[in-house]
Amino acid sequence: MIHMNFILLLFPPLLAALLAFVVKPYRPFIGWINALLSLIPLGAALRFAAHVIAGNEAPTFGPGEMFRADGLSALLMVCVTSAAFIALFFSPGLRGETTYTPRQLRRYHVSMNLFIAATLVAVSANNVGILWIAVEATTIFSAFVIPLALTKEAVEASWKYILICSVGIALAFAGTVLGYFDFVTLSGRAENALNWPVLLETAPRLHPEVMQLAFVFILIGYGTKAGIAPMHTWLPDAHSEAPAPLSAMMSGVLLAVATYAIVRWKVVVDATLRSNYTNNLLLALGLLSLLIAAFSLVQAQNYKRMLAYSSIEHTGLICLGLGLGPLGAFAAMLHLLNHAVAKPMLFILAGRVLHRYHTTEIDRVSGLLKVMPWTGGLFAAAILAIIGLPPFGLFISEFALFRAGFAAGHPWLMGAVLALLAVAFVALISHLNKMLYGAPAEGLAVGETSGWQIAPLFLSVAVLVTLGLTQPAPLTTLLNQIVAIVARP
Amino acid sequence: MNFMNDALFSQLSTLGASVVLFFGIALLWRRSLHSYVAAFKWQSAVLALLFVIVGYFGNDHELYIVAIVLFGLKVLIIPRYLDRLQARIGIEREATPYVNVASSLIIAGLLVLFAYAVTRPVVSLSTLPTRGGLPLAIGLIFVGLFVIITRKKALTQVVGFLVLENGIALLAALGTYGIPLIVELGVFLDVLMGFLVMQVFVYHIQSTFDSIDVDRLNQLRH
Repeated sequence: MIHMNFILLLFPPLLAALLAFVVKPYRPFIGWINALLSLIPLGAALRFAAHVIAGNEAPTFGPGEMFRADGLSALLMVCVTSAAFIALFFSPGLRGETTYTPRQLRRYHVSMNLFIAATLVAVSANNVGILWIAVEATTIFSAFVIPLALTKEAVEASWKYILICSVGIALAFAGTVLGYFDFVTLSGRAENALNWPVLLETAPRLHPEVMQLAFVFILIGYGTKAGIAPMHTWLPDAHSEAPAPLSAMMSGVLLAVATYAIVRWKVVVDATLRSNYTNNLLLALGLLSLLIAAFSLVQAQNYKRMLAYSSIEHTGLICLGLGLGPLGAFAAMLHLLNHAVAKPMLFILAGRVLHRYHTTEIDRVSGLLKVMPWTGGLFAAAILAIIGLPPFGLFISEFALFRAGFAAGHPWLMGAVLALLAVAFVALISHLNKMLYGAPAEGLAVGETSGWQIAPLFLSVAVLVTLGLTQPAPLTTLLNQIVAIVARP
Repeated sequence: MNFMNDALFSQLSTLGASVVLFFGIALLWRRSLHSYVAAFKWQSAVLALLFVIVGYFGNDHELYIVAIVLFGLKVLIIPRYLDRLQARIGIEREATPYVNVASSLIIAGLLVLFAYAVTRPVVSLSTLPTRGGLPLAIGLIFVGLFVIITRKKALTQVVGFLVLENGIALLAALGTYGIPLIVELGVFLDVLMGFLVMQVFVYHIQSTFDSIDVDRLNQLRH
């Protein structure tokens, strides 16, 4: 009956979207129902993870085996559903006070849930064509939410987002077509040709030159959505202008889903090429992303943009890991998980800071610890986590990355990465200092409003600390399974 | 007889692909927004015809469905929305693009040459009669990208994006006689929705900036 789990995974967000659409005008109980409904996919994702960890065969579902949940999918599902719960729990419109009109709130809740459904379809799709359709759908649905308040900045950010990401996705589609072309030239047309296991099985017989070209399109295409440089230009704008819960999902999870698409294709292309081609490309772009992110962090004046640059930095690190063989893949996937826990928390807290201070400029925010001690404290903890300090999980995954880099024979590259991480470290710490200490501005209300709301974020911190101090056996099993899928020797 | 058929098929498909590419390059040469929409409309019509040809010679009747949907979507629905959008906004011409007309046309030629170079391995691998048109499809993709990057009016960028999608559809038609039907239909749905969203945004840009010059979209800095 594990197959029915797919319905539990995919149906609740669609139901939530339908409810939000049908109830006019928007009422707060809709927001609460949405948040509660999002617990069901979380349970389904954990069930999939448990199923896979126990060593069972990956379950499939749907006509033509459209959906499949192996270890890699399960990890992404858990990341997506947990971030979704946090995002929906903190969505505007759940608690009376809000700056948005009922119409905007209705649009928000419908689009957010459709967005979540699309991401879940993307990570459970067995067919690279369906994967593509779902990723494109996420662009469309999130584009409805970014300009929730129609300011000049929001419109600009949304335009860049929809145009650049749609172009990127179109290129990814060209890559998909080229991959299909190669398969068809070899084996003739088949209905299930775009199924990933089928592609993987045929991969050793596919043609290297075509798959090389296809992978370039795929990397540039999905890389645009993942925030890999130099296709990242839309990211700081979109993530900083969007409402906090959407930024939380986009930074924490959407980037991971786009990276997941690249990984799926990488496995196929690697089986064809049997060389370091994809690794070299990933290393180059990963390093470039890290470079651009680190120096942008130094110049950041807006704390939401700062968080967005940090996302680019971490995507760069994940790409680097993926290019470093099995050890690197382990580090990259662990890092993906850690980042998916830490980043949404940061954006949610940033939303609270914005709500109180009414500004996103770092220079105009000071005395955060005095004004909102709990929010400030959690924010500080999360920034320390994102910098890669112990006892948080990102320290472990970054350490694993370095180990992988040295083992793969890239000492100079790891030296450069270390230097860039140090630059990012200093930049983030100094921005954090400016925000935490100092005298708060006049007329600012002091003390937390409805502080109980941020209770779930303590859970996020707990997870990060757990991942930083131990490595639970089920997680290790899952990650090892993923490495077996991703990095074939 | 079969050989004659193949030769005819090959010539028709290459001719069709060339016409489709030509309409794409017309975007670089004309300056009025209305002519961009017209060029896209004609391009899509020829593309739909091409799908019919591939369906007939390639013996795949699913492609007739694809051709009909393509025609309905990209010749009837989308151009109507585009024309209405352009009329409501009232902007007539692409003023001065980042790259002028003469240079654009030269660069377009170079892009097509580059496409030929890049797709050599792909063409040499294919055994389909339609393989001659593959470089033209990739060339159209490059031309679409070029339009998006070098044109200033948001509306032109939308048309450039639609032309890019046409290029990819052309690639699928010539390279693999189309992709599995369900994926094709999903793609059409995505293109339609993507277009609708972009359309909404052009309105937003117009009302917030009082212009659709993407030059003005420079508020967001560090």
